[in-house]
This record gives sequence, structure tokens and C-alpha cells, in this order.
Amino acid sequence: MKKRLYIELENCIGCRSCLAACTQCGGHEERNRNYVYDVNPHVNRQTMPLMCLHCENPACARSCPAQAIQIHETGAVLSALVEKCIGCQNCTIACPYGIPKFDEEQNLMYKCDLCIDRTKDGIPPMCASVCPSNTLQWLTEEEIEQKQRRHDLDNDKWVTSMPYLEGATNVKVNLPGILQGTEKLF
Amino acid sequence: MAETVLRKPMKATHSINDAFASKFAKSMFLTVSAIIVLMFIGTRMFTHVDLNLYGYMVGTFVFIAGFFYRFIAWGERPPTKIIIKKGIKLLFRKSTPKTSVNHLGTYEFIWNRGIYRWTQHLLIGWGVILSCLVTFPLVFGWMYFTMEESGYYTIVAMGMDLITVPADGVIAFLSYNALNITAIMVIIGVCMALYRRLKNMQAKAEQKFLYDFLPLYLLLFISITGLILTFMNVFLHGAGHYAMSLIHQYSVIVTLIYLPFGKLAHIPFRPLSVFARNYREHYGEQSMKECKVCGDEFVSTEQSQDVVNVLGTNEIDFTMEKDGFNLAELCLPCRRKYRISRFAGFPTHEVKTKEANQNAKG
Repeated sequence: MKKRLYIELENCIGCRSCLAACTQCGGHEERNRNYVYDVNPHVNRQTMPLMCLHCENPACARSCPAQAIQIHETGAVLSALVEKCIGCQNCTIACPYGIPKFDEEQNLMYKCDLCIDRTKDGIPPMCASVCPSNTLQWLTEEEIEQKQRRHDLDNDKWVTSMPYLEGATNVKVNLPGILQGTEKLF
Repeated sequence: MAETVLRKPMKATHSINDAFASKFAKSMFLTVSAIIVLMFIGTRMFTHVDLNLYGYMVGTFVFIAGFFYRFIAWGERPPTKIIIKKGIKLLFRKSTPKTSVNHLGTYEFIWNRGIYRWTQHLLIGWGVILSCLVTFPLVFGWMYFTMEESGYYTIVAMGMDLITVPADGVIAFLSYNALNITAIMVIIGVCMALYRRLKNMQAKAEQKFLYDFLPLYLLLFISITGLILTFMNVFLHGAGHYAMSLIHQYSVIVTLIYLPFGKLAHIPFRPLSVFARNYREHYGEQSMKECKVCGDEFVSTEQSQDVVNVLGTNEIDFTMEKDGFNLAELCLPCRRKYRISRFAGFPTHEVKTKEANQNAKG
């Protein structure tokens, strides 16, 4: 059954477990590929995770002169193939979310591959499997639909597609309640 | 305006390109012609062609066809076209020889990925390159040996007597055994690579049999059959030589034909990393792009514009009308913070504070 990464942004408590877990994925060579940001760092403690959203039409792959960024049959946009990446860094400029990281010494780009060794077999990616606050979830299409029904506001706002993102993505992001005009009870 | 566009093709042009149906046809014709001319010179007017190696010659021509098919198609992609065009223009930069040796000869970037991987890659890479440098001159007759005086070999290169060496000397020994030495290099390297693929978690996570293992098995097969050929000649008085030489020949031809289409395609393709480095260095020296939010210089103006144009040809446009910038004009931390601001509705990217550490230590 196809599952997707689903992000409920406002649940994030800033523990950075997802960053630590990312380093431990078999294919990640102990380097994390995701980010956690303070929304308003000098004022409050709200944080939000940011990771590759696995665009359906990925700008990184489109801008790669070497065809080093491949798209997996699950829809995951993979990290650069080590033998193909020529180190031009086009992908880092093209990505609308600033996700790809570049290792100058290895002359190699690396990015979130949605833990492809796990997710290709239906196992949740490392970040989602450790997230203690249900910010990052690994859900089936039906479960995401259920979420949508619960958030149904008749204003198309439940999930961050356009205009909050730059295009359709395989990772689904739930807009924070404040933008949807709802309050969540924990 | 429209008139001039219409009139343009009317003007008679006499470009060499008009003689060929396609870029592929032109490249094929010129390359095969050049090889035949070089053969003509090298073999002293076709008097020293080694017909034992005839199969390799046909295999090479098929390989060249596959190579041009694959790489002309690939060179048509907009981002590739830009790197190739600007890379050729910048080929004569002062730093080119150094970058080339570093990227194509000593593989420092692989050293930084791990000494084990560097060792295996050096052995396989240089084993294959040296083998090619020995094999192809022999196939096309650019190099051959004659014995005019008993006990002395004359090495002939491009039809000219290069050097006369004693048949039992060091240079002669290295010449006979060049392919045995490179075969051993490749076998050691391939075994290291296979061992890594069986043990390393990273490799195990991502590898596929056809993409990652097949090229290694092909190289191993070529090297082992080549060594068996030597073994048969030295220890078995040539028993089985003809059958084995055909097996070896077929394995080389199959690998050659497959080369542009699988993982091995990175061999002819890799010089592009030199182009990419020159491109970044040259345009970086010319002018750097300042981030529209924080003002940090993060990429050359040229590359930023090239990426925007390439995305444009793919009908992707990240111009943020409301904020007055294209996302490619933001440095990476600002671009990420800008996304947070789109999620949260609060302008995170405008808060003047350093990006928090994003690198976890497991």
C-alpha cells in the first residue's frame, strides 16, 4: 500500500530527533539532509521542520546537467548518483526550498532520498519513525483523506499546495491551524 | 521583425553541416574517417594490420555509434548544453590542467569519500585506462612490434620506428605483460568493490544488480579471460588459445557496446566535472550574486541566471511576484527561511539572525 510522508507543521516541538535519525539511515553516511527552523527565533519557541518535499516535477533534476538526480518509481527524488554528479551545484540554486546540500571536498551533492531503502519496502523514513510529536507521519492515501475530512473548511486550505508551495509534491504538508482559521486542541 | 526571420533560411549557407543528415551522422562520419586515416598512416598504408584483432575493430565502431547516440541525445538537454558550451569556451583556463589531473587522474574527491573507495577506483580506473591505451593502438595498428634483428624488438608507433629494445629486457617485458598487469589491477579493484557492495550499508541500501554489479562482473570476466589466455600460452603451450581468445574478444566487445548505456558511461562523461569547475571558478571571479534578503554572495551571477533560464525552458518559474525576487536569487538559508515564512505566515527570513546549526551529530 502506497504511503506518503505527511507533515503537520505546528506539532513540531523543536527536539530535532528527525535530524539525528536522518544521520542514522543506512544510506546517509551519517549526514542529515533535513532542517528544523525557528519561526520567530527572538520571540517564541515555535519551530517547523523543512525537508525535501519530493516535487512531482523536481527543479533540481530538471537543472542537473548530468542526470545525476533520479526519480524513484515511488516518486521519491533521489540523492545525486555519486558517479554522475559533476559538482556544478545547479540543483542547489534551482530548488525552490533550498534543500540540496553540497560537500565541497567530495565534490558531491546530497539530499533527502526519503530513506529509499526503507520507503521502497513501505517502512517509514527515519525522520517520521522517530518524530515524538506526530509532526512527521507516514500515512496511506486513505488516512490522509481522513485528515482532510477532519480539516474540511471548504476553502481548499487544508493542505499546503499552491500557493504555499511552488508545485505539486509527493510529501503532503498540513498548513498550520492559524492559517486555516482553526485551533487545535492537544 | 517577422520578415527577417522568414527571410533568413533563404540565404545560401555553405556550412559543412549541410552535408550531413544529422549531428549523429556528422560525428560518426568524421570519427570513423579520422580513425581510418590514422590507421592508414599507422599501419604504413595498411601493410601491418593485425587481423587477429579485427573483432575489436568492429566492436569499437559499434561502440562509437552507441557513444554518439547516447551523448548527443544527452547533450541536447538544456542544462547540459550550457555546461558543454561554456565549458569548451573556458577550456583554456590556467587551472584546467590541475583540475583535470585532480578530477580525472588522481581522484582527490574520491579520496575524500574514503580511502578504500579511492584505492578500488584507482585500481579499476587506471587498470581500464591503461588497458585501453595498450589495446586500441594495437587494434588500429598505431603501435606494433617488428623483429628485424634477432633478439631485438622494434616498437613502431604511428608508422615510425620508436625504439629498439632487447627481447628479454625490461621495456619488452613490460610491453608483453602490460595487459597482464592491468588485468591484475582491475581484478583487485573489482574484488574490493564487490566486497564493499556486499558489506557496506550505504551501498547495500541503493545498489541494483544490473546497474551496479553487472559492470563489475563484466570487467572481472574480461580480466580473468585475459589472464587465462596468458596462462594458456605460457603454461599450456597454447592449448585452448583460440577458443579462449574468442571468448575474451566477445566479452570485451559486449562491454564496449554496453559502456555508454550503463554505469560505465561515467568514464567518457566525467570530463564534464572539469567544465563545471571552470564554469564556477570563472564566473565566480567575474561577479557574484548577492542574496536578495541577507546580501551574502552565494553563487555567480551567470550561474544563477543560467539556472533560471533552464527552469524557464521547463516551464518552471519561481518568481515571487509579491516579494519581488526569484527564489534562485536567495541564498540557501534565506530560501529555507522564506519557505518557513510561507508556511507560518510570519516573515522568518527577515529576522536578522544567524541560521541555527542544522547539522546533527547522530
